Amino acid sequence: MNDPIIAIAFFVLAAVLLISALAVVMLRNIVHSALFLALAFVSVAGFYILLNAEFLAAVQILIYAGAVMILLLFAIMLTQRANTPMSNVSNSQAGLAAIVAAAVFVVLAFVLSKTSWLTGAAAVTQPNTEVLGKALFDYYVLPFEIASVLLLVAMIGAIVIARED
Amino acid sequence: MNLNLLLPEISLCVLAVVLIVIDLLLPQGRKSILGYIALVGLAFPAVFTLSLAGVQQVSFSGALVVDQVSVFFKLLFLIAAALVILSSFDYTRRLSILQGEYYALVLFATSGMMLMASTRELISIYIALEFTSITLYVLAASIRNDAKSSEAGLKYLLLGALSSGALLYGMALTFGLTGSTVLNDIASALAQRGISAAAVLGLVFIAAGFGFKIATVPFHMWAPDVYEGAPTPITAFLSVASKAAGFALVLRVFLTAFEPAEKTWLPLFMVLAAVTMTLGNFVAIRQTNIKRMLAYSSIAHAGYVLTGLAAATAGATSGMLVYLLAYTLTNLGAFIAIIAFSGQVGSDQIEDYNGLSRRAPVVSLGLAICLLSLAGVPPMAGFISKVYLFAAVFDAAAKNSGLYYLVVIALLNSAVSIFYYLRVVKAMYFGPAATEESLHTAFSLRVALSAAVAGVLIVGIYPTPVMQAASVAAQVLFH
Amino acid sequence: MLSLNHFLLLGAVLFSIGLYGALSRRNAVAILMCIELMFNAVNITLVAFARFLAPAATASQSLAPVSTVGQVFTIFVITVAAAEAAVGLAIVLAIYRTRRTISVEDVDLMKW
Repeated sequence: MNDPIIAIAFFVLAAVLLISALAVVMLRNIVHSALFLALAFVSVAGFYILLNAEFLAAVQILIYAGAVMILLLFAIMLTQRANTPMSNVSNSQAGLAAIVAAAVFVVLAFVLSKTSWLTGAAAVTQPNTEVLGKALFDYYVLPFEIASVLLLVAMIGAIVIARED
Repeated sequence: MNLNLLLPEISLCVLAVVLIVIDLLLPQGRKSILGYIALVGLAFPAVFTLSLAGVQQVSFSGALVVDQVSVFFKLLFLIAAALVILSSFDYTRRLSILQGEYYALVLFATSGMMLMASTRELISIYIALEFTSITLYVLAASIRNDAKSSEAGLKYLLLGALSSGALLYGMALTFGLTGSTVLNDIASALAQRGISAAAVLGLVFIAAGFGFKIATVPFHMWAPDVYEGAPTPITAFLSVASKAAGFALVLRVFLTAFEPAEKTWLPLFMVLAAVTMTLGNFVAIRQTNIKRMLAYSSIAHAGYVLTGLAAATAGATSGMLVYLLAYTLTNLGAFIAIIAFSGQVGSDQIEDYNGLSRRAPVVSLGLAICLLSLAGVPPMAGFISKVYLFAAVFDAAAKNSGLYYLVVIALLNSAVSIFYYLRVVKAMYFGPAATEESLHTAFSLRVALSAAVAGVLIVGIYPTPVMQAASVAAQVLFH
Repeated sequence: MLSLNHFLLLGAVLFSIGLYGALSRRNAVAILMCIELMFNAVNITLVAFARFLAPAATASQSLAPVSTVGQVFTIFVITVAAAEAAVGLAIVLAIYRTRRTISVEDVDLMKW
């Protein structure tokens, strides 16, 4: 983490992520918002690589930038009416929402920066895919099995709800 | 890893999958048999759960625990699931609901709630909670081509996802501070390192996430809308079982993991309890739709139950368990009666309940008993459980004088609540009926209502076995 | 140079942006997208903890090392987020079929 290149990469990625996140919440055309969301997902994958989590970076690209984005775009395309340029306007509570979000941020930033975390002196070896796989079937077999039923339920549910008669 | 401990959950999931397969093989028009299969099939998880009574064991690398508390909650969920399935027979036939998937999802949701009552590790807790929630989102939206139902599902999902965002952030902070996701390890790490501001922040975010599940102020706004739009049996399920599952998590997480931070959250829950019951009761008075009225009343009841957490003694916890059981039976009974009426009258407006006692005397009597029990009138279960819970909170007031005020607020609130419950009873018995034509109630609904009312009266008149089971269970959480 | 706090602060900013969007948008799909941003903020926080926390921070009972726990947690969050998105979008389609709008203020049979 002391390599200046990594620091530069962090700040470039952070700029990309935050600008695209702001674009997602600010733009009025939902198609544009969705495209910036894809950019945000990809830049999050960049952070995973910076944090030595290569497997998660791949998962992030495949699931988020791939599957979830396709789902979102499908939903947008299937439900869009003529007025696309004004498809993502804010509601009447935008001012209140800004105050709440700003308050949450101030509290989070203040507390997080004041906390002394139990960080290690040396860089920790990060688990590779093999270690993660073993952990999933070893320590985390219960959540893994619940997740498999969860996916089954989501599939049944999506079909039940979206199916045309 | 001991699969026997998971048998109730596994059998529910297997039963659900079997239902979906049978659904494929059945010709159209014979689908109503699915409900009977689901109901009879509940015997398997019930037997497995009873066989786990008295077991005290941790398994799956510390992720799963079977103890008296989890068995108590699992039986409560099974009772709720049975009554919900029984009260759905008539309902699913009337409205366009796909029966195979509907019953399967109810069983999956029950399995998810059981897991919520049994997990003791943050990742598993999160997954179990989301498993239950996603199933319930689908169930809330399950009336086909009904805009209100879809809208209820969407609101539930959006607000639920928002709250699980908060919950996750809290879990991440807690994990970062303690280096563990196992509740007991979190407790020892917090005890060792002291309660930092970040720990409080994590605790508050987690409380917010759970607060949504049990519908406490300020995370209650989804409840009335979702309760009104969802299929009524699912509304009943949400208002009792989903809430109880939320309380199971709150109890385990706060009494175990955050036990060292007790001084932080006791006042938090005290305020939440007072505000939640007061808001729920006062807004309930204004409602004209009985489903919305019961939604606000269920918010108020969450407030009553939270008083037990604000006391955080074994006695108060036992009071919470008894209260949740009594509330489950009572509220289910009330909703079953509402299903029976709305099927005949076609309305959920309280004004349409005028004179119903002459048109459907038995169902009216059942609804009246349940509403009086919710109001806390003896000899119903609602009365004895209120006395038991508030007395335990009052006992704890010796070390925390704020609890005196809380008990007084709770009693005042109970008095207020009698007003709006009695309004419905009054409409049924003394209101002018639009017609005198008598209403026919489906047999399955009569059975379900009788079972619920019998439960309300039995617990109300002879509560000793329930209280004993609850107090044994509560001891587990206090070592 | 780069420390844990950089990543935590980034997560906090992203979480707040997502929260603002989720509370202020009118289109149901847009709200869902903002909630996904919040989940991503949590994931960055979790992976950062996995990377920076000292191994000794793992307490006695949990057997997996702290770096593994953080990453496994993230995998589960991604799984759930994808499932939730699928169900959410199915409901959005169902609403659109009956109502021809998915804006949560236009949809006003019940008060939002």
